[in-house]
Amino acid sequence: MATANAAGREMSNQQVALTERPRGYWRFSRAERIEHFVLIVSFTVLSLTGIPQKWPDSWWGDLMIRGMGGIEMTRLIHHTAAVVLIVASGYHFIVVGYKVFVKRTPLTMLPSFQDAKDAIQTLAYNIGRAVSPAKMGRYTFGEKVEYWAVIWGTVIMILTGFVLWNPILVTRFLPGEFVPAAKAAHGGEALLAVLSIITWHVYNVHVKHFNRSMFTGYLDPHVMEEEHGLELAGEGVMTPPDPEKVRRRTVIFAPFAAVFAIAILIGVYFFLTYEETAITTVPRQEIEVYVPAEPTETP
Amino acid sequence: MPLGVDAAVLDASVHGDHTGVDVYCTDCHRGRERYQYPHQPNPADTLAAFAADVSQNCRQCHPSLESHNPGHLGAEPGTPVPTCADCHGGHDVVPAGETYADPIGFCLSCHQDFEHPQVDRAHAELVQNMGAGQDCLMCHNGEPVYPADAQCRTCHTLLTGDRELPSGETISLHVDLQELNDSVHGVYQTEAHDYNPLLCTDCHADVQRYGFPHPELTAEDMRGLRMEMDDICQSCHEEIFQKQLDGVHGRAQAEGIDVAATCVDCHGNHNIQVPDEPRERVSQTCAQCHSTINAQYEQSVHGAALLGEHNPDVPVCTDCHGVHDIENPTTAEFRVNSPTLCAGCHADEEMMSKYGISTDVFDTYVADFHGTTVELFEKQSPDHETNKAVCYDCHGVHNILPATDENSQVIRENLLTTCRQCHPDADANFPDAWTSHFKPSLEHNPIVFLVDWFYRLLIPAVLGGFALFIGTDVYRTARTRRSKKENDHGHS
Repeated sequence: MATANAAGREMSNQQVALTERPRGYWRFSRAERIEHFVLIVSFTVLSLTGIPQKWPDSWWGDLMIRGMGGIEMTRLIHHTAAVVLIVASGYHFIVVGYKVFVKRTPLTMLPSFQDAKDAIQTLAYNIGRAVSPAKMGRYTFGEKVEYWAVIWGTVIMILTGFVLWNPILVTRFLPGEFVPAAKAAHGGEALLAVLSIITWHVYNVHVKHFNRSMFTGYLDPHVMEEEHGLELAGEGVMTPPDPEKVRRRTVIFAPFAAVFAIAILIGVYFFLTYEETAITTVPRQEIEVYVPAEPTETP
Repeated sequence: MPLGVDAAVLDASVHGDHTGVDVYCTDCHRGRERYQYPHQPNPADTLAAFAADVSQNCRQCHPSLESHNPGHLGAEPGTPVPTCADCHGGHDVVPAGETYADPIGFCLSCHQDFEHPQVDRAHAELVQNMGAGQDCLMCHNGEPVYPADAQCRTCHTLLTGDRELPSGETISLHVDLQELNDSVHGVYQTEAHDYNPLLCTDCHADVQRYGFPHPELTAEDMRGLRMEMDDICQSCHEEIFQKQLDGVHGRAQAEGIDVAATCVDCHGNHNIQVPDEPRERVSQTCAQCHSTINAQYEQSVHGAALLGEHNPDVPVCTDCHGVHDIENPTTAEFRVNSPTLCAGCHADEEMMSKYGISTDVFDTYVADFHGTTVELFEKQSPDHETNKAVCYDCHGVHNILPATDENSQVIRENLLTTCRQCHPDADANFPDAWTSHFKPSLEHNPIVFLVDWFYRLLIPAVLGGFALFIGTDVYRTARTRRSKKENDHGHS
């Protein structure tokens, strides 16, 4: 199982993370980096095909859609990227399940009261009202904001996207107005996501420091020191779990993961094929055009 | 040739004694050698030649010949034209007024039969139809018979008969002058300039075809005849004619569909009127061939307003379809462009306010999935088919009714049926997925309205928060760098 292997390696990697090695501190496994890469690609494609659909009458929206081969092709690309993102989201869900239930990894991504305090201290430090910067653990408050924003945003986008993709099925159970509402939410959330990436993500990992850990796996020591001081000090680091217990829990987890994975795939298939929203060709009305009138006097 | 002269006849003639004019035999029979006694042999071979010879002398006393038919006077010697005596008589010469008391009969006395069958036929009918004050001189006035507007008019107003075509159809030879004068080509004043009424020969200009006697008709039927004359209008209305060739009718003609309308099918011929005065004329014109469509139109919101209240704003056929370069309305392009067409009026604030109709209809359509797609097609690939609805897919085409009419396709009760035309699996809630041309508000589509506002507030809030962190971080970094530099300077 590639998933379990990757997660297993990640676990042991976390142990060695604290050891500074020539290339920096080990931070992300190859599986995680690939996952991130898939997210980059699908998110970028979704944005490039989606945002112009929000402003189709702008010159740039028109130009982008034109460049992608027209609106129908743009939608097809958008839908394809959406399927990739949905599958990737399902995969992420299983990996998190494995880490939480099998490996019993510390839940370092969960937000806490401390994050609020860190945020305030960061602001205070920035404006010179605090003596020292906040010392943070494996994930800073900024990273948690981003992670949970991605989770929340993806859920919103998948749900509203489903409504837009299957309006007939949805309106069988929900009021019709949910469809345009889903469209409004899909567009609003998309804009929020794109702008957040352009500002928050780009500034924090590309401008402030050029953080290569998502590409190389290693984090520069000075960034590690500045952003993850507590982790470096040993907080949240667990002792390696008993391999026998891991094996036993894997046996229990695997069927759930398999069922979930199959459910995701079936769901996507359903998503794609269940509904034929509209007929593909509007039928032509056959009318007799030339029907001379009985001769009458013209006015 | 009798040698005797009836003195009584001579005396009773206009040259006779009783008139008090002394006319002697030798006034007419001049020439001493010829008429001395014993008389020389008569040089004339025939009686007519003799009369012609004697007639030479009439001009001695009657030098003015203005009132005479110039055709007779101008005749070449040797041609069988009448001499004075032929008409006025010899010894029994009668007063001119008497000779011409029956002008038609006077002409007919010689001109009975014409060699050309058409000329013969026409004259026979003309003579029959001539009324008081009308005579042969109306046409035969010394001018060449062709080309001359007056002769055309004279003849064709008098003619009442028909010509039969091989198809059995008949064409009337009669032209109603009143109709012609009342037409746009008749006595007609425009604001721009005084308009000279057209002459017959301005349109019927082809000498080969319209010269007199007219050549026999070659068309098989009325349609063929009309088609032969189709390019007449071109000589003055070239631009419109070319446009027409590009229109559906012109193209259909080019494909051999000869029922397709030509200029005169819509405009008429001698009776041409301003085509859109009153505007009802337009739909009635089209109805000549498109009667069933017009019947639908008359029942529609547009047609009813046009016919019922002479509404100046509702579209007539040509407003949507164009006039001469009428576009084929069954193409993908027409369909994809059609919302813009409707928006031409329905997004016009000033016009719509008169009728209390919302001008949001176009914007809300474009904001929706159907409209967004169709507008993109219009801009990017207008010749491609799309299955997304345009205005008339929901509202109807010629039979369009007010959205409040109980038979309207888009009234709430009928909307699901309409949606199902394209969304056959749709259920009762589905029509509400369409915002019914309302901009989202608390009243209409409140969920959409609230979602919009949620993001309108959330996005700036989140980005504001980000900006706060990023801004202060930049500030701190700059400050740290500066103080570090100062420190380095201090140490050095």
